[in-house]
Amino acid sequence: MAEREGGDAWINEVLCDVPANRIITGRNREFYVRPDEPEFMASVEGLALRKFVLIGLFACEDFSDRSPSTLFYVFEKKEHILVLVRDVDRETTSVARQFPSASWFERECTDGFGIVFDGAFDTRRLFLHEEYPDNFHPLQKSFRNGPITVKDGIDPGDEYAFRVVSGEGVYQVPVGPVHAGIIEPGHFRFSVIGETIFNLEVRMFYKHRGIEKLAEGRQPADCVGIAEAVSGDESAANATAFCRAVEKISGIQIPDRAWYLRTILLEMERIASHLNDQNGMLIDVAFPLGANQFSVLREECARMNDTLTGSRFLRDTICIGGVSRDINKGLLTGLAQFLKVFRNRYRVGLKIVLSTTSVIDRFATTGTINKPLLRPLNITGPAARASGGKVDVRVNHPYGIYHRYARPLNVLRDGDVLSRFTVRAAEIMDSVDMIEKLIEEIPEGEICGRGTVADGYALSLVESPRGQNLCWVRIRGGKIERYKVRTASFCNWQVIEHAVQGNILADFPVINKSLNLSYAGTDL
Amino acid sequence: MVNAITCLLRKKIPGETPSDDEVEKSGRELRAGIDAVFGHSLAIRELDTGSDNATEIEINALTSPFYDCERFGISFVASPRHADVLMVTGAVTHNMAVAARKTYEAMPSPKFVIAVGDDACDGGMFKGTYGVLGGADAVFPVDVKIPGNPPTPLQILAGLLALMERARVKGRER
Repeated sequence: MAEREGGDAWINEVLCDVPANRIITGRNREFYVRPDEPEFMASVEGLALRKFVLIGLFACEDFSDRSPSTLFYVFEKKEHILVLVRDVDRETTSVARQFPSASWFERECTDGFGIVFDGAFDTRRLFLHEEYPDNFHPLQKSFRNGPITVKDGIDPGDEYAFRVVSGEGVYQVPVGPVHAGIIEPGHFRFSVIGETIFNLEVRMFYKHRGIEKLAEGRQPADCVGIAEAVSGDESAANATAFCRAVEKISGIQIPDRAWYLRTILLEMERIASHLNDQNGMLIDVAFPLGANQFSVLREECARMNDTLTGSRFLRDTICIGGVSRDINKGLLTGLAQFLKVFRNRYRVGLKIVLSTTSVIDRFATTGTINKPLLRPLNITGPAARASGGKVDVRVNHPYGIYHRYARPLNVLRDGDVLSRFTVRAAEIMDSVDMIEKLIEEIPEGEICGRGTVADGYALSLVESPRGQNLCWVRIRGGKIERYKVRTASFCNWQVIEHAVQGNILADFPVINKSLNLSYAGTDL
Repeated sequence: MVNAITCLLRKKIPGETPSDDEVEKSGRELRAGIDAVFGHSLAIRELDTGSDNATEIEINALTSPFYDCERFGISFVASPRHADVLMVTGAVTHNMAVAARKTYEAMPSPKFVIAVGDDACDGGMFKGTYGVLGGADAVFPVDVKIPGNPPTPLQILAGLLALMERARVKGRER
């Protein structure tokens, strides 16, 4: 499906002032609109009024003849996706006041491309920490990827400025980047009154490895491994998002069997991730009896994944066009038998946990996320569904065969740790049901569609275990010109600052775990 | 509903514990090594300097009932000041370099470093790119490298066995 001019009726209604010839339909039925600069802010205001969500904002160089850089603002509302395309020079205006989720996005564009956003309320660096040289913008095409020299020492005046919280009895508790457990690095700056958290500021990006730049200039097929390295426990989701974008650009048809196999892997990944998370939540409330139920099942899932694909993290299997190795009937029957036993054992574990008062006492009313926060910050995944958010890419923007198999959403309203635990439990059961059905109905046939990689660009959304992952790929001359990936964690991290307020410091670990945030997937 | 009291009154080992011959074999060798070289217990501090979190999951798996590495004499400690071994995952990013050096410096001597996973061994796919310094050996000496993307829990146990040999040699050199 190629791009075409003109849009649907809804888009003309939303953007009544923009002429139809400036609306382009993308390969994913998303609309690209190029408003003039005066129309741009009016369009943004209009989208804010109509309760659209800003789900992505990224830059790309050499996209238009009119200016060196182009910004893409991706808006979503239910099944509609609209991308505002804005040609910019080095300076433009911020939309963070209309769409708070833009704040981190804009800081990301400033670090990567040197684009300055006037009127932004936060202009601190994001992924480039203090030691990076001034005027260094790694995503600019003029920078060739290679080792750089960083600053030798940092003057006290150049240190990262945390929000100042002061008053009688307020004291600061800095935590990290190196934490006490076997977890990823990040810094948490708590302002505490007694035991109660008054304010939290998170500082991330300690693990910034330069994933997006790494993909540039490579053959698309060589970048699937890079997509898998975005976040280890979302390997299948990020590989699928990347491959789907390339397939859309190139018009490669995916055989039905390949989509069944991909979907089985995506749901296996979800089960493993949710189990890991539930295990962690129970460790954080000191209930190893319950935690071990899930950690044993988690390990068995990893071993099952290894049997199916040769990788405990489902790596090296999803490829452009479909999957690179078939999973034969014997293995699929084995998986069905495994899931049958799994379901019963999981239920036993769940009963033990949910009938233990000390667990419920710690989980209930802890770390509450209120529904009005979901839209401004683009909170997705189980964290949103536990707070009444009806968001799931599998349902809102079904890809592959999800339109036939996606289950109704599990939505709870309390928004506390207990709700997030329960939503995950329901999703595990749904995934088990879904995989069993897929195994029953999987057709025979090819596992990889053929086709040559073409030039172009495409957007792709996938529901990872943590929520909505966005991926935008541009191919030029057969090579990756720009690979933008925004995992659910990038947005979800920002809600933790709200979720912990008024809770005691000792509950922070379980609140953090209940949101199941990936540091690697955020820091890139 | 399950009554919590029945959980408490049940035998401490309910039914069968998961068991795995290969794990048992590596574990016994490791137990003997730790007894001989590290005086019965080995304290490990894990440090993530830029991994994709898969390696963390595999190291965490070592503490699950399947492996239960504490029975071999291994404990993961909360502070580098308590650690014999620093287990590093991921290429060392510029943003983590200072914290990584401080963590290493905080360890008491003699100290050992294990690099876990391809990225920690030599920078892996990030070798020579702007965001990283390289593998763990770019910031401090590394004693044992465990390659893999990520290495499995069993391979990590095998790497720990290799450390026993390395520590014996290092001890004689001293």
